Amino acid sequence: MLQAQKKHARFLFMFIFPAFIIYTVFMLLPILNSMKYSLYSGDGLIPDTFVGLDNYVKLFTEERYFSKFWNALGNNIKFFLIVTFIQNILGFFMAVFVTRSFKGNKFMRKLSFLPTTLSVLVVGFIFKLILNPYYGVFDKVLEAVGLGKFIIPWLGDPRSALIIVSIAVSWQFFGESVLFYSSGIDGIDDSILEAARIDGANIWHEIIHIILPSVLPIVGIVTILIFIGDFTQFDIVYAMTGYRGDPGYSTDLMGSLFYRTAFATTERGGWGTGMGAAVATMMFIIVTLGVGILLAFFNKKKEDMTK
Amino acid sequence: MELVKRSILTMLVLLLAGSMAFAGGQQGSSEGDGEKVKLVFTSWRTEDIERMNRINSQFTKENPNIVIDFQPVKDTEYDAQLKQSLAAGVGADIIFLRSYDSGYQIYKTDSLMELNSMLPELKDFPSAAVAAWATPDKVSYAIPAAGVVHGVYYRKSIFDKYGLKVPATWDEFMTVCETLKAGGETVFAQGTKDNWMLYEVMYSGLGANFYGGEEARQALMNKTARFTDDNFVLAMEKMKELQPYFPERFEGIDYVTMQQIFGTGNAAMFMGGSWEIGIFEDLGGLDDVGYFAPPLAEKGDTLQYCFHVDAGIGFNKNTKYPEELKTYMKWLASSEYAQLYMNELPGFFSYTPGSYTLSNDLAKQMQSYVAKSVPTVRTVWEKLSAQAPSGNELVGEAIQMMYANELTPEEACKFVDDGLSWYY
Repeated sequence: MLQAQKKHARFLFMFIFPAFIIYTVFMLLPILNSMKYSLYSGDGLIPDTFVGLDNYVKLFTEERYFSKFWNALGNNIKFFLIVTFIQNILGFFMAVFVTRSFKGNKFMRKLSFLPTTLSVLVVGFIFKLILNPYYGVFDKVLEAVGLGKFIIPWLGDPRSALIIVSIAVSWQFFGESVLFYSSGIDGIDDSILEAARIDGANIWHEIIHIILPSVLPIVGIVTILIFIGDFTQFDIVYAMTGYRGDPGYSTDLMGSLFYRTAFATTERGGWGTGMGAAVATMMFIIVTLGVGILLAFFNKKKEDMTK
Repeated sequence: MELVKRSILTMLVLLLAGSMAFAGGQQGSSEGDGEKVKLVFTSWRTEDIERMNRINSQFTKENPNIVIDFQPVKDTEYDAQLKQSLAAGVGADIIFLRSYDSGYQIYKTDSLMELNSMLPELKDFPSAAVAAWATPDKVSYAIPAAGVVHGVYYRKSIFDKYGLKVPATWDEFMTVCETLKAGGETVFAQGTKDNWMLYEVMYSGLGANFYGGEEARQALMNKTARFTDDNFVLAMEKMKELQPYFPERFEGIDYVTMQQIFGTGNAAMFMGGSWEIGIFEDLGGLDDVGYFAPPLAEKGDTLQYCFHVDAGIGFNKNTKYPEELKTYMKWLASSEYAQLYMNELPGFFSYTPGSYTLSNDLAKQMQSYVAKSVPTVRTVWEKLSAQAPSGNELVGEAIQMMYANELTPEEACKFVDDGLSWYY
């Protein structure tokens, strides 16, 4: 018995060890290093003066820093909510739709996944072209169908810019959640659904009483993945509205804030590497806390459902 | 355990392969044709590769053992990349540096050569330009390479159509705008999606005649003036007067789009910098493009001309080839280089002393205003942008909000002044 356990442990070790080393060298150490730098200040890329918690104190007590930080966090929360709505809720219904049996459902599945294969920068660029107020095709289409009076400078208006950026990201990764959900739905035993139908369940009953409880763990995974992705999102802002999150920081997310503060020169919005590292550490804390909360929430839900 | 050993071995091999790939990148500068030494030259101007290669091939002709490898990095990533490469010890040998604090920050990382004794020629350069790349105790760390001016480009054919002359005063300028608008033209190609142009070109260029140019800028830096003073507010009000002449939905028009609008002949005017000559040349040719300096407040005023210190060239202290680098440095400071540079890159004006002939007509026109003007640089570029929030960021943001009708000109100036509280 003991021998078997030992063998089992060794076997596990062999699987975990390479990943552990790679993870430590390329993830854990840089994170710890970055946290260390958040306690330092200085001009160069590697800050050299130890200042203790000074960077954090500045970040939360000086208006010039905290106004940008809270702004980016607020934008990021809105961004997450919009993306979650589109990807999770619409993605779920799309998955229910493509798992019904009809002609072309396989094609629809593939089609929804296609944008995911593009790079975020390319997606941003395409959206920027389509929405360009001068030669963009979107405004022209609106005009053609008589909706010309609703046209606004989509990416130049603080009221619409963040929503557009969220839609662009959601569009790209929409297929991923469809994929997750449809594989979950595919996994449900057909006989259960059939039995329900015989008992007179309509599509709503099916979704609420059978599909949703079965794919609940997937809802958790998808939401957590979206959360992590959104709170570290940088490329889409960079591609669509610049690293300042124009207009007027209305699309500035935690990722773009971090990039700007850590790597830009002071005259272009940089705060120095030390302050940048402090922002990065805050991002790490937010993501860790967020994931923890979401995990607890979905685990609790799962327990409630299985009770 | 055999498997563990083997997986460790595989990992080591992978790691080694990875590190060799990195090393390959580093060795790039020492590889070359036989005995030739390769010096890496970096800048934020990716559009100049061919032009810089043509300039540098002249140098290699004169110094056959030295090859210059021009490797620019995208503008928005340049500063981060430069800092990283210098910190990692793989920085380029020859380095484009921005003026004042951002170049100074690179100097403070202790990676640039001090040029005072190495390059006595520097004392003949314009002192204001030298000061833009020197420490407070006058240690020079870059050759002032190029300055740029800000003014207004226009379409000759559109002006001709309405019988318009180049405006000299603001009133005439407004009349031109009004006539063009009444004729149904897109007056300016300007958009406000990217805010830096609003400050760097418009406020610093066209505003200078109203806030008082260099003298006012000095007063701002010496803390004897504030951004909320009447003259700075007046300049802001003048910027606001231009808004009715922007294209529809200008808030969504970014820098590249506005260049395209003007460059393809779809707008009558474009407030821009001299560096755009090449861009307009590529977009639709220069035959129809004219230029005039920022209009004066009153007839008879002296032009306050924003002649901005744009690029200096510094040298990596830790270069592997100090001797060859010195040879190139001397050449960079020579009038031969300056003439080649201005021919290849019209709109960039060299600071190197000497008499030159400009081959490009627009560049000639831009330069023709210099003699009768007081030169100045961008309003809050020096000192006032050394900390967060920088003056540069603040003015850009303030004007963007003003054009979004969120702030009045007065409030916009107050916004800048509040943001600069760290300076006062």
